[in-house]
Amino acid sequence: MTLSIFYFLSFLAILSALMVVVSKNPIHSVLYLIITFFAIAGHYVLLNAQFLAAVHVIVYAGAIMVLFLYVIMMLNLNAEVEPHKSVWLKSAATVAGGTLMVVLVGALRTSASVGSPLPADANIGLIKTLGKTLYKDFMLPFEISSILFLAAMVGAVMLGKKETK
Amino acid sequence: MNEIVQFMLPELGLTVLLFVLLFVRIVGKLELAGQVCQLMNIALPILALCMWFMPAPEGAQFGGMMISSKLIVTEKLLLLVGTWIISLFSSPWLRGHRHPAEFYMLMLSTLMGIFFLLSSGDFLLFFLALELSAIPLAALCNFDLEKHVSGESAMKMIFSSALSSGILLFGISLLYGATGTLSFVQIPALLDGSPLQIMAFVMIFTGFAFKLSIVPFHFWTADVYEGAPVPVTAFLSVISKGSMAFVFVSALYTVFRPLSEIWYIAITLLAVISMTVGNLFAIRQQNLKRFLAFSSIAQVGYLLIGISGSSIDGMSSVVYFVLVYVFSNLAAFAVITLVSSATSRETIDGLKGFHASNPLLAWVLALALFSLAGIPPTAGFFGKFFLLTAGAAKWNSPVLIVAALNMVVSLYYYLRVVKAMFMDSSDDTMIRLTPNVSVQFALLLCTAGILLLGFYSPAYEWIRSLSFGI
Repeated sequence: MTLSIFYFLSFLAILSALMVVVSKNPIHSVLYLIITFFAIAGHYVLLNAQFLAAVHVIVYAGAIMVLFLYVIMMLNLNAEVEPHKSVWLKSAATVAGGTLMVVLVGALRTSASVGSPLPADANIGLIKTLGKTLYKDFMLPFEISSILFLAAMVGAVMLGKKETK
Repeated sequence: MNEIVQFMLPELGLTVLLFVLLFVRIVGKLELAGQVCQLMNIALPILALCMWFMPAPEGAQFGGMMISSKLIVTEKLLLLVGTWIISLFSSPWLRGHRHPAEFYMLMLSTLMGIFFLLSSGDFLLFFLALELSAIPLAALCNFDLEKHVSGESAMKMIFSSALSSGILLFGISLLYGATGTLSFVQIPALLDGSPLQIMAFVMIFTGFAFKLSIVPFHFWTADVYEGAPVPVTAFLSVISKGSMAFVFVSALYTVFRPLSEIWYIAITLLAVISMTVGNLFAIRQQNLKRFLAFSSIAQVGYLLIGISGSSIDGMSSVVYFVLVYVFSNLAAFAVITLVSSATSRETIDGLKGFHASNPLLAWVLALALFSLAGIPPTAGFFGKFFLLTAGAAKWNSPVLIVAALNMVVSLYYYLRVVKAMFMDSSDDTMIRLTPNVSVQFALLLCTAGILLLGFYSPAYEWIRSLSFGI
């Protein structure tokens, strides 16, 4: 049962991710991206990470996608203003990307998996466990990320503030 | 508790300064610009002295996530002194600006990211620290708010650093998938050279190469350097590059030690391309900042030759080279900052007749360029000499011959600037520049560093005693 759900979610994620790249209309791309995010959130649930799944949906599918839509509508992208890329550039990119894919597939094919994909503890994804780990084992990275946000905010405020003369 | 405070003294000190600045900015008035600069010019050397007299004990904290050794403390101290020199010579420029407190907050948080990067003991902290040392720097590139080139520089900086972080993160996740751990101590034992691990290593290597702007990954470096304000360019090319060189060499020598046969090939190849392309492009540059950007790309090429030696000499020569590079490059940037903020000239032609109007400054700049080129009495000669000696241990003479030829080429373009200053006369004579006390002090420090480090051999011996090889 779990395995078939896994395959279904993976198929959905890859298909919609492909559609993000292929679809001509940027709004459609964003909508397909939301489907991808939901599929990935499903993967989190399969890995017993319920809280992460919820946060993923709220932050990525909710907040960030709205931001994406907002920016795309502000830029008013369409096929006419799209810069035309030469055939050489396109074929070079195809060859480079294809080579990378072949190498990646080759590397992954021969590798053995390390450990069990499923965590032993079913409660591992609960907020209580997560909070304890975050404030005990990973306190230093947690505090550093707060400094990172402070610095980013200072930078954003400095750049965005209206100049008063 | 006390132990942790001493262990994290540099980072905690920077955090305290960061919050002092935050409160100064919120409570204080805009006229405080001069005081902010003065405060920082005094606070940074005090922090350096604290680090010198109360060095972090060797060992690991936070479950092995953060490590410290004498070498790491030395590297941090060197970068802190470099930041202090930048702070000293940028104060006249900063006084005319509206946001001096923000400048220092962004610069110090970048420095804090660099400190955490140097003492990171696992890939999680490593990645966070890398972001902390890159994102505020992009905001700093846009510090000349009214100039469009400055904005362009910031955009290019954030794009290239986001791309490289993405590639690096993909590599880290593949490595985690292949080994099941993020800890630097545990990874080497689990590396057996399987295709997946090599793929992961290549991606992490690419991320590093972007940050060091090694040649195939150097595309926007010159644009970023050109658009950013001169003190920020100095920070980018000296402090940021230097720290990445430290992290790169220690990551290759510890975490990726089992893969040394693989990275040896990559590094020698990239060294040859970096030196050649960097030098050939530097010849064509007119803008001083672009010129120094390509010169720094070429210098990274020499650095890679030292790393390829993979011995104690390899590591100590890299650290020593960065030590010399900090003083030489900052001396050049200090003079260029003075010229640029007084006359807004940033081209090589703009320096014509510089010796006639400002003999002392012209000599400092000439000395700095001699040191970058590696002419014997200056410390730069010994820096390059040790790098090549370390590389020569592997007996790959073709690479060394290319390096020697490149040094000859580099002499031409460094001396072109010297020629413009000393021999060419110009129609519009340069005004006589009067640097204030803090700039004079910065220039004195750099000149002393360039001249004394070459003659004072215990400096290299001491670094060598702290280093380790494969």
